Amino acid sequence: MTSKPLPTTNNGNLPAIAVRDCSVGFGKNVILDNVSFDVQQGQVAAIIGPNGSGKTTLMRAIIGLLPLRAGEIRIFGKHFHAVRDHVGYVPQRFDFDRNFPITVGEFLELARHRHCPKDRVVTKIREVGLSPDIVMARLGTLSGGQLQRVLVAQAILNEPQILLMDEPTSGVDIAGEATLNDIIQHLNKKHGTTVLLVSHDIAMVSALVDNVICVNRQLLCYGPPRDALTAVKINELFGPQSAFYEHRHEHPVGQPYDHGHDHA
Amino acid sequence: MLAEMLAQPFMQRALVAGVLLAALLASLGLFVMLRKMAFFGDGIAHSSLAGIALAVLLGWAPLPVAVAWAVAVALFIYWLERSTQLHSDTLIGIFFTASLAIGVILMSFTNGYQPELVSYLFGSILSVRANDLLVIALFSAAVAIWLAWSYRDLVYASFAPDSAEVSGVPVRAQTAALYVALAVATVLGVKILGLILIPALLVLPSAASLMVTTSLKGYFILSVVLAEVMILGGLTISYAYDLPSGATVILLGAALFFLAALSNRAAHE
Repeated sequence: MTSKPLPTTNNGNLPAIAVRDCSVGFGKNVILDNVSFDVQQGQVAAIIGPNGSGKTTLMRAIIGLLPLRAGEIRIFGKHFHAVRDHVGYVPQRFDFDRNFPITVGEFLELARHRHCPKDRVVTKIREVGLSPDIVMARLGTLSGGQLQRVLVAQAILNEPQILLMDEPTSGVDIAGEATLNDIIQHLNKKHGTTVLLVSHDIAMVSALVDNVICVNRQLLCYGPPRDALTAVKINELFGPQSAFYEHRHEHPVGQPYDHGHDHA
Repeated sequence: MLAEMLAQPFMQRALVAGVLLAALLASLGLFVMLRKMAFFGDGIAHSSLAGIALAVLLGWAPLPVAVAWAVAVALFIYWLERSTQLHSDTLIGIFFTASLAIGVILMSFTNGYQPELVSYLFGSILSVRANDLLVIALFSAAVAIWLAWSYRDLVYASFAPDSAEVSGVPVRAQTAALYVALAVATVLGVKILGLILIPALLVLPSAASLMVTTSLKGYFILSVVLAEVMILGGLTISYAYDLPSGATVILLGAALFFLAALSNRAAHE
């Protein structure tokens, strides 16, 4: 997807993300305990688990926003800070004053690296299925679905090789969720972007990802959804009240947003 | 009348200082609004009273001591904000009153009427000396260079701190630098508007501009323009009608804000 060289030789066998024996905590509170997994290059993977299970903590640890108590995390074999130019990030919540005067174009520009061409803003806006005219709109006037797509456009502006998304479909309606899933598939299939997302929606995840990483303080399961998400594991992860209804929702690769209807 | 006003050396110094401070405070005011920390200017300005009182008590020049005190308070607030997760307004509320209390106690040790202290409370255009002007000019130039270099990073760090940090923006360093710049700019402005009124120059132009602009670029430019209108218009009116300069500047700013609010309301109807 990107023309930028990686800091090391791009060895196909090197995991895009390698998490080894990671523990994270605050004071006496252990949030993550001895978690290990790999996300291979070109994969779509999802961290799943119930509320408070440490999903977001794990994501924040991967991008260096939280310190590790133990273990290590490598991105393409390097520390995150050495490869941050190759990583895009969509935060879980983006709280801002909707009256603040900033256009979509100006918001996207904030993330544009100096080597990245200016017309990339419009290219990425199109890629997430929005009209180029939206760059002149005030950010605060966007719907939840449009805002989420703008956040994705900002995260992929510098054409990262890894895209990390924390609950990308939270606060988005069903149509918007389908659009975002299509965008993820488009980025992965067409550009080869490795995607790691956080979700609590097992049905959505099982239809979208190559591997799931189930966490609830510890790693409870890891692997392809069909193998990893057994009834026993889901019960263990979400409790006895949980149920799993498989979701099948596929769209042609390269047409991430063309559903014939509006997802705004 | 205008020619007469401009011929007065004290008025020339006040106008130049005012123009520089208006641009400085309005530029920084954008980040104050963005970070929802409008109380910061109030807190720092009132905190500086302790530095001024200490300097008066020791017979030192008040401005450098007040600046040093304000910078120390700003950095301490930033450090506590990061280490305790308390909201900045809570911490400012604590330091504002504690520092003010120190200032009141120190003032009680000084004998008799202290014109210097009163001029810092309400500001005085007569108090701007050539040395003050030089300090304001140098600091304004430094902040202008820093903003030109870091403007985008600062906005990104203020608007979406996590994403900014992930993309390599030195969020902590830029935030600390912003707090220091705000503290110094506020205390320098105390000379003209006084510590009771100076926070308004940080907030009023930005708040008025926020009402009528739709883009960041327009917001920044209009904030600076409105701040200059406040200062130049306010000082001129105060000279013409022999009114207190600081209060006149602020009332003009308040009038501009209400006009902007009316315009915003009209646009939404």
